[in-house]
Amino acid sequence: MTLTLPEADATIIENKKTIVQDLKNITTNILHSDDEVKPYETDGLSVYRQTPIAVVLPETTEQVSKVLKYCHDNKIKVVPRGAGTGLSGGSIPLADCILLGMGKFNKILETDFDNRCVVAQPCVTNLAITEAVQFKNFYYAPDPSSQLACSIGGNVAENSGGVHSLKYGTTTNNLMGVEIVLMDGTILKLGGKHLDSEGYDLLGVITGSEGLLGVVTEVTVRILKKPESVRAVLIGFATIEDSGNCVADIIAKGIVPAGMEIMDKPLIIATDNYAKAGYPRDVEALLIVELDGTTSEVDTLIDKVLDIAKMNKASYNRASNSDEERLRFWKGRKAAFTACGVLAPDYICMDGSIPRNKLANVLGYINKLSKKYKLNVANCFHAGDGNLHPLIMFDSNNPVEMKKAEDFGADILKYCVKVGGVLSGEHGIGVEKRELMCEMFNDNDIQQQLNIKNAFDKKNLLNPGKVFPLLHRCAEGGRMHIHKGKDKFPDLPRF
Amino acid sequence: MHGVFNAKSEDEVSDFIYENYNKKNPLEIVGHNSKRIGRIIQSSHTMSLRSMSGILEYFPEELYIKVLPGTPMSEIESILKDKKQFLGFEPNDLGYIYSKKSNAGSIGGVVACNLSGPGRYKNGALRDHVLGFKAVNGSGAKIKSGGTVVKNVTGYDLSKVISGSYGTLCAITEINLKVSPIPEYEETFLINNINYTEALNIFQIALDTSLEISGACYFPHDNVTFLTLNDVKKDTSALGLRIQGPKTSVLERMQTLKKIFKDKSVIILDLYQTLIFWREVKNLEGYANTEECICKVSLPITNMRNFLKHFEQAKYKYFLDWGGNIAWCLLSNQEVLSQMRIFCLKHDGHLTVLRAKDDLRRNDEFLTNSNPNLRILSKKLKDSFDPRGILNPGKMYAGL
Repeated sequence: MTLTLPEADATIIENKKTIVQDLKNITTNILHSDDEVKPYETDGLSVYRQTPIAVVLPETTEQVSKVLKYCHDNKIKVVPRGAGTGLSGGSIPLADCILLGMGKFNKILETDFDNRCVVAQPCVTNLAITEAVQFKNFYYAPDPSSQLACSIGGNVAENSGGVHSLKYGTTTNNLMGVEIVLMDGTILKLGGKHLDSEGYDLLGVITGSEGLLGVVTEVTVRILKKPESVRAVLIGFATIEDSGNCVADIIAKGIVPAGMEIMDKPLIIATDNYAKAGYPRDVEALLIVELDGTTSEVDTLIDKVLDIAKMNKASYNRASNSDEERLRFWKGRKAAFTACGVLAPDYICMDGSIPRNKLANVLGYINKLSKKYKLNVANCFHAGDGNLHPLIMFDSNNPVEMKKAEDFGADILKYCVKVGGVLSGEHGIGVEKRELMCEMFNDNDIQQQLNIKNAFDKKNLLNPGKVFPLLHRCAEGGRMHIHKGKDKFPDLPRF
Repeated sequence: MHGVFNAKSEDEVSDFIYENYNKKNPLEIVGHNSKRIGRIIQSSHTMSLRSMSGILEYFPEELYIKVLPGTPMSEIESILKDKKQFLGFEPNDLGYIYSKKSNAGSIGGVVACNLSGPGRYKNGALRDHVLGFKAVNGSGAKIKSGGTVVKNVTGYDLSKVISGSYGTLCAITEINLKVSPIPEYEETFLINNINYTEALNIFQIALDTSLEISGACYFPHDNVTFLTLNDVKKDTSALGLRIQGPKTSVLERMQTLKKIFKDKSVIILDLYQTLIFWREVKNLEGYANTEECICKVSLPITNMRNFLKHFEQAKYKYFLDWGGNIAWCLLSNQEVLSQMRIFCLKHDGHLTVLRAKDDLRRNDEFLTNSNPNLRILSKKLKDSFDPRGILNPGKMYAGL
């Protein structure tokens, strides 16, 4: 599959030998032969591939700073990479770039229980943070499905969420500080072990900036005490509408569950076949509701949720009575992506967020599209926070199907925006959705974002070609505020 | 002296800023003008967003509300209360410290100042509750970011950066806020007669449990008259731990706290008393009849202990909130204020002056920002929104 990336600078590619030699003066951890750089040609969005001119694997913040400064001074593009599990192609290299692999930044630097935080290097995995503090019954709340492999630095770049975001927030709400290196080599500390730094919230802008503003070299995250009790209920419905209404009613009753997940029938069958989770197979939608808190609180809320489910015509319900049983409920859901791998040679996982009350509407539309494109789709949905993950199945050996799958995905995301949602809940825009940005934003909005990019990286060398559309203007020119026939800000650089 | 321009729509805001962008006129942007916060700025023109008031959308089951910037906080809090919801960050009503009575001002002002009360400890700050917004930047362009959903990685998260930017980046014209259900029941566990070392230890023990404490404050004995409740002893220090949730669960957790702190002198405040107690804490009501400088000291909890020890002999009053993460200080000695600021800088923290005499607001720092590289980046960020530096210039930092 071809992907349009910013035009490669032939001089840089020609100068590869000199560049590699220069970088060797900063660190000897450089990979540059074809065989060596091949493993870095893609990330979690593996349909797109491109090798960089070299891969640099720094070990210290000072080395990161020197590499970036060298590249800045010599106008060489840099693409940062954490664990490479990102699903929107944010770490896909450019033909004329240095790939900055942060893999050697893999140590937890401090577990500070007194200040309830962990200081870690960016390539520590998400799960390793919880593992480092669980002996004292603490944990790190955001839990993306890839938490075993994805890095905490990557979580910062993509503002990763997980199944518990409704109650505990995403990365941005659990991040206390970072050390970052700007493209010109400046090392900055943002935030720390205190709460709410004053001045502009640069930490907030960095989070979810997809590696375009700086390279994270250290992360401080908040850790929480594990709840006393956690229980889950499985609820089956004859229609998707009923499951959506049930979710709305639970929230309307003032209950904020730790997690609420819906799967549609194709996914119920696929995950149950794969993980033997014991799901009911005669329902159209399966809702998992997890509640946490003190024992009596959780028991009371479970009863309330079951009552609400009954009122919404639930045809099946089962509450977990042990932690083993609760984990079994999750086993299928957490294996959703792997299970779909069995159904078709390839799938793409989309990621839109929508208002919760539009769930049935959007799923109905996805089913219509599935018929139109003649491609199967399975849906899982972080129902609590409106984050939808349709899995579109296709065969990448068939170029027609590949194109259809991409169009299908784009149609879903456009519809998400149309009903009041957004293009990405937690996977980011990357290269995958950048051309759809104009569905949500107009020229002014994107220009403002580019102005911010310019403030951090004036030469546009850090991860270019990601997040923002490569076009010169969003198509709908009429949206621009033209004042008395004049372009309003003629002195500003335009994208 | 020019009058105040009362913008009534996003278009009017855009046209007014564009006109002043062309003339390079500095503009002061105000909401209800209820807070005398930040440095005093010298601007030729003032634009008020007071008339842009109203609730545009409120869907309780979607957990968000969309409002215009001039909407009074009281109106928002009242409509939410009708649906048993609230703003989880519990914004401070700073009317008490500026005008001796309740006056929380407008939502635009609250967002601009990133005001978060006792709920911040558990529920996150204001910046965690802004889901999206519309605004006009310093060149008059209408911009937007975010949306109405909680999970969103679509472009840079500008909702964070406008929170606490004191109107120096853009004039906010619409705000989407996350809302939360009001807890069914709440009580406060009040421990008397302890010094600050014991208080910080108690915070540590209580907040390390799974009891989901949602408020943790401490008043030393010389500042406890702050609290008006009859049940709160006025001659000794007081530490409050708030527990919220379903009633059975709250009562159960209170029993657990009693067991943990069985050797302490304890009072339980019921629901009614708890609401009053935390309102007074949130709004700094005890500082209402004072004139001195008020500042917020924010430090890692472990450094707060050193801070209190370091300033033991200094003449000032304080109380702690957010489980010991912040101290609200009342002081008149400018030298002590400077020393506190230096201490914060050295110990991974910061100090914000909330109320000060006008000469101090003209000549002294309002925020703490020592790192020159951070200052350079902040300036570039400001320029990216406001290339001619016309929006509230100097409000946060001199020369920015």
